[in-house]
Amino acid sequence: MEMADTAILPARNDDSHSDVVIRVEHVSKLFRTPSEGTIRALDDISLDVPYGEFVTVVGPSGCGKSTLLKLIAGLSAASSGRILYQGEEVRGLNTKVGYVPQESKLFPWLTVEENVGFGLDSKRYPRAARERQIHNFINLAGLSGFEKYYPAQLSGGMSKRASIVRALAYEPAVILMDEPFGPLDAQTRMVLQDELLKIWEHKRQTIVFITHDLVEAVALADRVVVMTHRPGKIKDIIQVPMARPRNIFEIHRQEGFDEAYGCLWNIFRHELRIGAR
Amino acid sequence: MVRSSEPAGGEQSTVGAADEADATRIGSAVSMRGFGVTLVRTAIVGGFLLLWQIASGRWIEPFLISSPSRIFSSMLTGFQSGDLLQHSWVTFQEILIGFPSGAVTGIALGYAFGRSRSLAEIFEPIIIALNGIPRTALAPLFIVWLGIGIWSKVGVVFLLTFFLNFFNTYTGMRQMDQEYIDLARLMRVRGLKLTFRVILPAISPYVFTGIRTSIPFSVIGAIVGEFIAATEGIGFFIRLSAGIFRTADVFVGIIILMFMVIIMDKIAGTVERRVLRWQVQTEHIRVQG
Repeated sequence: MEMADTAILPARNDDSHSDVVIRVEHVSKLFRTPSEGTIRALDDISLDVPYGEFVTVVGPSGCGKSTLLKLIAGLSAASSGRILYQGEEVRGLNTKVGYVPQESKLFPWLTVEENVGFGLDSKRYPRAARERQIHNFINLAGLSGFEKYYPAQLSGGMSKRASIVRALAYEPAVILMDEPFGPLDAQTRMVLQDELLKIWEHKRQTIVFITHDLVEAVALADRVVVMTHRPGKIKDIIQVPMARPRNIFEIHRQEGFDEAYGCLWNIFRHELRIGAR
Repeated sequence: MVRSSEPAGGEQSTVGAADEADATRIGSAVSMRGFGVTLVRTAIVGGFLLLWQIASGRWIEPFLISSPSRIFSSMLTGFQSGDLLQHSWVTFQEILIGFPSGAVTGIALGYAFGRSRSLAEIFEPIIIALNGIPRTALAPLFIVWLGIGIWSKVGVVFLLTFFLNFFNTYTGMRQMDQEYIDLARLMRVRGLKLTFRVILPAISPYVFTGIRTSIPFSVIGAIVGEFIAATEGIGFFIRLSAGIFRTADVFVGIIILMFMVIIMDKIAGTVERRVLRWQVQTEHIRVQG
C-alpha cells in the first residue's frame, strides 16, 4: 500500500468548457499480463461530462468500463492521454469524487451510521452538522432505525443503499458507480433504481454509472455511452430523450424509451455479430 | 439523531420484528441445548476422574499416575505452605512481561511489513529462515545470555509469542481487501484514522487468531526455560517433583499451567468478542443455518 498523497496539479483552464466536470482526452490504458502479453483495455477514449448529468456507460464485460471509472477516480493511471477533473489534470487519487463499488463494500466493522458518516471530515462537518448529515442521508436511504446495525445484519438491498449514501453523504460533485445493482434480484434492482433517480433529481450531482444492462442504461441516463469489447473504445453516444421524473416501474411505456433502446440495441446487434465471428 | 433501536417504517419494520422473534426463539433453544451439552461434558470428565481414582493402586502403581484425591490434597498443602503460590507467581511474571511485549512487537512488525513493500522484500526471507529454527532450541542460549533468573524465560516467551503474532498479522495484511483502503482514501481518510479505523479493524480477526494461538505457546516458553535452568517457577517445580517421584505434585503443576492458559484464553476471548462484535452476528446465523 503506497500512501501517495493526493496530487491534483493545476492545468490550463479552458473557459469554453467551464460546464464540463469530467473531461477524458484520448485516454488509453494498457495492462501487461503474463499469459496474453500486453492488453489494450482502453483505446483512445474521449468523453466530456457536464455538471449534473447522469451518464451511463454500457458494454460487454471485459470492455474496460470499470477501468475507465478507476482512471477518473485516480485509482490507476492512464497509459496515455489525460483526464481533467474540474479543469485540473487528475494525477494520483481524485478525492473529489464519490465511489460506489460493485459489491457494497461497507466497512463491516462500522455500524450503518458510522459508515455513512465515514467520509465527513471534522473540519467541514462539525459535530452537529455531521449528525444532521448522517441522519438525513440515512432517512434518504430508508434506513432509519438501522443506524446501529452492522453491515452483516443488513439485506443485500439495504447494504447497497447504505453504500450509495455513504458516497453521497460527503457531497462530492461527481459520483462514480461501478455496476452497483449487478448482483441484486430484479425487484430490488428496480426499487433501488427508482430510489437512486429520486435522490439524484433532488441533489443533481453528476453521476457516471457503469452497467451491462441495456434497459438500466437507458432508464437512468441522460446519455448512454456505448463501449466495444477489447480494445475498449467508445462506439457511440446516445441521447435519451425521455422526460423526467421517470417511472422506472413502467419505463417501457414512457415516451422516448423505445427509440433510445432500439438505437442502443442496433449498435449491440452489430457488436454481437463481430463478437461471434 | 434518532437513537431508537426499533426499526421504523414499512417493509423494514417487519424484517426487524421477524429478526427479533427469531432471536428469542433461537436464544431459548440454545440455552436448552447448552444445558444438555454441559451435562454430558460433566459426566465425561467425572467418569474419567472416577476411573482414574479407582485404577490408581488397584490396577496401576500410584507413583506412575497418582490419583485425583492425592493430587487434590497435594495442591491444598502446596498452597497452604505458600510454595506453590511463589512458583506460580514467578511463572506468571515471566508470561506477564514476555507475552504482551512479544505480541505487541509481533503485531507492530507484521503491520509495518504489510504496509511497506520494501521492508517486506528485504526482511521476509530472513524472518522465514529464523522461523525455521525450532525456537525452543534457542532457550539454552537465552540462559547463557540472560542468566537463570526470570529474564531468560521472559526472552523465550517473547520469542514464541512474537513469531506467531507477527505471521498472523502479516498474513492479515496480505489478505486485506485493497478496495477498503481505496474507498477510505477517496474519502480523504489517511494517517492515524486510516490505520485505526480501517486497516487494524480489517485485520483484527487475524490479529486475534495470533494472540489466541500464542497463549499456550507463551506458557510453553516459560516452562521450557524453567526446565533448563531455574530456581523457581512451575516448570522448576514439575521437574523437581518428577525427579523425586512425587507424581501428585507433577500433576499439581500441570493443572496450574492448564488454568493459567484457560484464564488467559478466557480474557482474550472476551476482548475478542467485544472487538469483533460486528462479526459475531454472522457466526450465529451460520450456526443456525
